[in-house]
Parts: sequence; structure tokens; C-alpha cells
Amino acid sequence: MKETYEGVEIVETKPIEGEGFIVIEGFPDVGLVGSIAASFIADRLGMKEVGYVDVEALPPIISVRDGKILELIRIYRKDNLLAILSDVPVPASIVKPFSRELMNWIQSKKPKLIISLTGIPEPNRLNIDKPKVYVLASNAELAQKLYEATGIDRFKDGFIAGIKGMLLKEGVRRGIDTILISAQSHFNYPDPGSAAEVVKYVSKILQIELDVKPLLESAEELKLKLRDLMRRTSQMMQGVQKSRELERPPVYL
Amino acid sequence: MSYRRKPLWRILLDEFRRVEEEMSRIEDEFIRRIKEAEGMRGCITPLHNLYESGDEIIFTADMPGSSKEEIDLRVGENYIRIEAPCKSPIRGERKYLLHVELPVEIDPTSVRARYKDGVLEVVARKRLRGFRIRVE
Repeated sequence: MKETYEGVEIVETKPIEGEGFIVIEGFPDVGLVGSIAASFIADRLGMKEVGYVDVEALPPIISVRDGKILELIRIYRKDNLLAILSDVPVPASIVKPFSRELMNWIQSKKPKLIISLTGIPEPNRLNIDKPKVYVLASNAELAQKLYEATGIDRFKDGFIAGIKGMLLKEGVRRGIDTILISAQSHFNYPDPGSAAEVVKYVSKILQIELDVKPLLESAEELKLKLRDLMRRTSQMMQGVQKSRELERPPVYL
Repeated sequence: MSYRRKPLWRILLDEFRRVEEEMSRIEDEFIRRIKEAEGMRGCITPLHNLYESGDEIIFTADMPGSSKEEIDLRVGENYIRIEAPCKSPIRGERKYLLHVELPVEIDPTSVRARYKDGVLEVVARKRLRGFRIRVE
């Protein structure tokens, strides 16, 4: 039996009551696609901070913006939409227990859907003007429903490493509808273009208007601002064998 | 006082974390050096990657806010050097500066480069010396 990991504390600064939540997570990984897309969505929808995740294994630092002290991993809310944003990558050694603890909390909120956002490493990204977007769902009916609603391609073969893969695995095991939306992306350069494609599909799935023009217009500035997070995230990605996403699973027959 | 032996998986996990902390310390030192150098020189060290593919090396650098006309790219047999302005509407104009030693010798006359979507790509043929051996 797996031991309970006590290094994660999820605090609701404003009680998150209700059910049928849709939870979007944007932990930093490939091309920071998930972080850029989730932050953009939270910002455009005017989501408000309602809690934070305290992780014992994170370095003892605080984030300060415009003189305001921020938690490193924050939870935002608007109506039944929750977004989890992080200023730091989750250390490789705690990805598994962290994902389980996070999923315990999400499950307690009786979620309708969990949406993970990420980039899928594409070595040829420089030659691609419009990155392709793929979806991977925790069950076949959900995948079919999404395909019919949005025409989004299914992620068929490959590996998903790190927190995105672990949340999806927990979603399958617990019978919680969970999807991973990924777009072709630079591996370790921030990729707002790829994030914009992901946002377009999230807006289709959630049936909300999200104009990605402001995101594309600020792409250069974003890339500059996110260089340091990308450096740190690249190092974390080595620890969770993110390079596996460039491989194909073994097939014997 | 009671003493309980740690299970093996716990020992391994603790060891993994110790190694990770050590790696993290080394990496932090690496990033500190980059940031201090940037602070001292007022230059930006772009994120960059170097790949070897068959007879070629492929080098890329993420340099948003520059333009192909203003990139000063110099290449020798064993190095790539880039100097270019970085224009940011918020932070004003700064400069990219990067010198990378190559792991293999290249033919500087074979180099081709392009700048697309803020990424500079440099492709060069390796300088290969040797003999062709007949395989029996």
C-alpha cells in the first residue's frame, strides 16, 4: 500500500464550495505551454485566487508581484471553473505522491472534468506554422465525445511523462473524466504560439469566447519573461525522463 | 525510545531525493552564474541547444525581439558567437551575447542560418577526416 504523502497541504483561502467543477491545471513543462495557456485563460476570464498548494519539497522562496506576496502554486476560481497555476516546476522526486495528493483534493471537489494542458515536443517545430493539437482522454466515450464536438485529433501512441501523465493515470484509476490537451511545441523554449492553439481548443470544449490575439501579440515579451522558468523547468524535465515523449512505446506484434 | 527500520523503498526514495537536492544545488549554481554574468555585462544569454545529426551539427537559440538583419553571427571551426539587439517594449533595448564552443570541428564555409519566430537556427557540416574502410 502506498504511504500517504504528508508534504502537500492544500489551503482554501476562500472556501471552494459546490460541485461539478472543471479543473484546469497548467504546471510548467514542455515549452511552458500549459503554464502560458492556463495563466492566459485565468487572466482573460478574470478568475480570482481562492487557495494555494503548499509543498514541503519546494525551495523556501516566495513570489512577489507588484509588491504583493504570492504563493508559488495557486488555485483560481470563477463559477465552476478552477485553475491551478504554478510559478515553479514540481520536483521530479515528488511528482507521483504530489499528483496523488492533488488528485485526492480534486476528487473531494466532485469534479466534472479535469483538463491538463501541455506541449508535445516537436523537434521540427521551427518548420510548423500552426501546431497540431491532440487530446488524450481517460476513457473512450469521453474521447469520442470530444472528437465529435471539436474535431480534435486523438493522441494515439507515445509516452506522457511527469505530472500530466500522473494526473491522467489517477483520473483513469479513479474514474474521473480527465483529458490532456497537447500541442506540438519547442521542447525547452517557451512557446506561446503552441499555447494559443491549446487555448483555442479549451475555448471550444468549455464553449467560452477566448480571443488568443493578445497572447500572440505579447509572445515575444512572454518568451523573454519566461526564460528563467524555462531553464528551471528544463532541468526538472530531465528528472522525469521527459525525453521519453520523443520515443514510441515498444510494440512486439 | 523505539527503533523501526526504514523499508527499502523509503531508503531508496530518500537517496533519490538526496541526489536530486545535490543536482539541484549544482544546477542552481549554473543558473546563478548565468544571471550574474547577465547582470554584470547587461547582456542576455539566450536559451540554446546543440544537436549532432549525422554529418551535421544543428544549433538553435531562442532570441525573441531581434531581427535577422541585426544578428551578428560569427562561426569558426570550433565555435559559434552571436551578438544581437533584443528589443522589448517593456524593458527597452538590450543585447544578446553568446559564445558556444562546439564539441566537433565544423567547416565554416558550409554554415547556413535562418531566423524564424524568434529562433535562430544554424546548421553546419562537420569536418570529417579519415579513410573509407572496405567492409568485408
